[in-house]
Amino acid sequence: MSIVTKTAPQRERTVGSIAGRIGIYLLLIVMAAIILFPLYYALMVSFMTPDEAAMYPPNFWPAAFNFDNYDTVLRRLPIPRFLLNSLIVSIVVVIGQLITASLAAYAFAMRRFRGRNLIFLLFLSTLMIPFEVTIIPNFQTVQAWGWTDRYSGLIAPYIASAFATFLLRQFFMTIPQELHDAAIVDGCSSLRFLLQIVIPLSRPALGTVAVYGFLQTWNQYLWPLLVTNERDMRTIQIGLRFLQNEEAAAPTLIMAGVILAVVPTVAMLILGQRQLVRGLTAGAVKG
Amino acid sequence: MSNIDKQLSRRAVLRAGLGVLGTGAFAAFLSACGNATTPTTAPAASTAPGSAAPSTAASSSAAAPSSSGAAATRPAGSAAASTAPSASGSGAPAGAAPGSTAAAQGTPVGVSSSKGAKNPNATKVQWWHAMGGANGTAIANLTDKFNDSQSDIYVDAIYQGNYDDTLNKFKAGLAAKQGPHIMQVYDIGQRFMIDSKAIEPIQSLIDADKFDTSQFEQAILNYYTTDKKLYAMPFNTSTPMLYYNKKAFTEAGLDPANPPKTWEDVQTTAAKLVKKDSGGKVTQYGVAFAIYGWFFEQYLATQNALYANNDNGRGATRADKVIYNSEAGVKILDWWKGMIDQGIATNLGRSTSDAQKAFTGGQIAMTIESTATLRGLVSNVGDKFEIGTGYLPRPAATLDQGGVIMGGGSNYILKDKADKEKQAAWKFVQWLALPEQQAFWHVNTGYFPMRKDVYDLPLEVENAKKYPQFATAVNQLHDTKLTPATTGAILGVFPQARASTETAMEETFLGKSAAKAALDKSVNDINQALELYNSSVK
Repeated sequence: MSIVTKTAPQRERTVGSIAGRIGIYLLLIVMAAIILFPLYYALMVSFMTPDEAAMYPPNFWPAAFNFDNYDTVLRRLPIPRFLLNSLIVSIVVVIGQLITASLAAYAFAMRRFRGRNLIFLLFLSTLMIPFEVTIIPNFQTVQAWGWTDRYSGLIAPYIASAFATFLLRQFFMTIPQELHDAAIVDGCSSLRFLLQIVIPLSRPALGTVAVYGFLQTWNQYLWPLLVTNERDMRTIQIGLRFLQNEEAAAPTLIMAGVILAVVPTVAMLILGQRQLVRGLTAGAVKG
Repeated sequence: MSNIDKQLSRRAVLRAGLGVLGTGAFAAFLSACGNATTPTTAPAASTAPGSAAPSTAASSSAAAPSSSGAAATRPAGSAAASTAPSASGSGAPAGAAPGSTAAAQGTPVGVSSSKGAKNPNATKVQWWHAMGGANGTAIANLTDKFNDSQSDIYVDAIYQGNYDDTLNKFKAGLAAKQGPHIMQVYDIGQRFMIDSKAIEPIQSLIDADKFDTSQFEQAILNYYTTDKKLYAMPFNTSTPMLYYNKKAFTEAGLDPANPPKTWEDVQTTAAKLVKKDSGGKVTQYGVAFAIYGWFFEQYLATQNALYANNDNGRGATRADKVIYNSEAGVKILDWWKGMIDQGIATNLGRSTSDAQKAFTGGQIAMTIESTATLRGLVSNVGDKFEIGTGYLPRPAATLDQGGVIMGGGSNYILKDKADKEKQAAWKFVQWLALPEQQAFWHVNTGYFPMRKDVYDLPLEVENAKKYPQFATAVNQLHDTKLTPATTGAILGVFPQARASTETAMEETFLGKSAAKAALDKSVNDINQALELYNSSVK
């Protein structure tokens, strides 16, 4: 009797929670399907023949998995080379931005010096200058230094970022000034304080800067187009353009190129997902 | 303590790195999709309306110093076209070995050939072009053929993105006094290229060499002629024509060999072609055209109506007013909107690739597209139905007037280069214009051959068997009356004008504005932009 009364509500609770869980998973599955559908469709189109892809109502499954599109794309374009270029440029830019922005942000947030706020405002005002305005002078500089068709030309203009500095400075401001003063009194150098106290405390902010910088660089189109002429120095965004025809779209080829461009990065996402999630949440709690 | 900290931070860096890579994957996908969905939309639409005024100002100021002193030509020439050994640069190991050319030829060649010159003393010529996909492959094949046929000149064909990207890169290069020897520009960039003062008019090269253009298509030559001077060598040209689904015609009891010729015919034919399912939902519309400014310009030309004043700007005085809000312009929109309102046409938006897809998918039975799209459409349709082609329809009242305007692109030769390089570029451009190359180009891309004497070549005869529909394109070209209206307008702000007419069409079709009011507003905007442009180049 007592057992029954004890287990009944318990079972009810478990049934309820299971139902709730099923509901949540259903919702998640639907959301995931919505998000994954374009990727799925791109993958399927990449296996289709042109007339299959042009069918209406659309096909969501190819009649046969033919790899002709991939064959054509890979023979026509050095996709791996494009990806490598994009990866090198993006990673170096991220590292550069992390270094320059954390040093600058430290000065603006922790050090006290005359005109600090004025200089910071000047710094911020550069955010108001659109990229298009600086593109010609930047191009002329890179050109004069003979940096066209080189990684240096692709990377150099983006190695410092006012936005990243601003973001980190705001975060560094949340670290008590007393901590800094105490450390300095104890004979800790500024660089050591930055490296051993500020940086470890600011992992979430640094992560944001890194992700933001990476995306910005990875997605660049106009700048890499301007400073490269050689095919082997093109980045993936320009590389995919090579597949487009002014007059008639060839969606099957373009999708094959897109999949080839996405596969390495998706593979890295899957491999790194656990660390990514753990890293972000750990940072969130501690930060 | 500090040790633990160090370990922690190292791990954090690792995590951050992986995080970055992960988001990168997502970014790659997003950006790739972004690229893929915007491919063949009207080139004009992607030019921001405000972009021409500042850029032309920049170019005119840049052109002034470069044309003033002969000394200025040296750095520009030597930077871009130093002789081969140093020019092959950092990342092209393939070009180093002379023997590698033969091996490279066996595999299909890339969009831009990166083989490097056989002869280290060859004059290097850079050609910037905007041809991706199959067209880009055809360009690579042509340049390879040229490079293999002789050893004095080495042409490097470089793909620089679509027309707008290529032109933007060119503008940036103008300011930095660096650019290619040959530059492919779209039809509506002609006035800008002339005003940039950076080009050598092809006419002067033709005159100096007594180069024979008698076999060229007059309509094509006319398009690139302003004030009696040929400025660019025509390269890829196309006109619009009517495409229709022969199977749908047969099913509707229409004669599949007899496409509609007039606007009135299009309307009655389209009405017969509409198919509905049992629920009354339309499964096949009679007709649809992409809202593309180029089509509007063409429909004006079929009525022999001008787009801009001063004979479309073709004479000694440039156009200072656009006049497409005329009765002829309003008539186009009224006819088009009438069919939409009647439910026999559908509005598929601005993207021409959407209309293409609807046509090949059988959702619309007739459409207007570039003659260069024929091959793509035929391959996408497969054996679902047979494609027929007809002349661009025109109003019955003006059936025997006017015609179509050339579209596409042409090659300009840049002025500020060493004479030897300019001559080399000119030699290549001449070579491209020869019958054999023209036939190859036509057969592999679908663009017009620019000469009349190619159609007997074996390549062309074979192609005519495979794509009998293309005969329509050629006949339409030859039947066009050569008038200022069919020569097409030449305007400094043509990209904006095209985008603006597209907005006017959109507003009319969506019922936001009457045809006349929408066109008046567009004309007003463009006249202001035109005034600004004209005053900046005078």
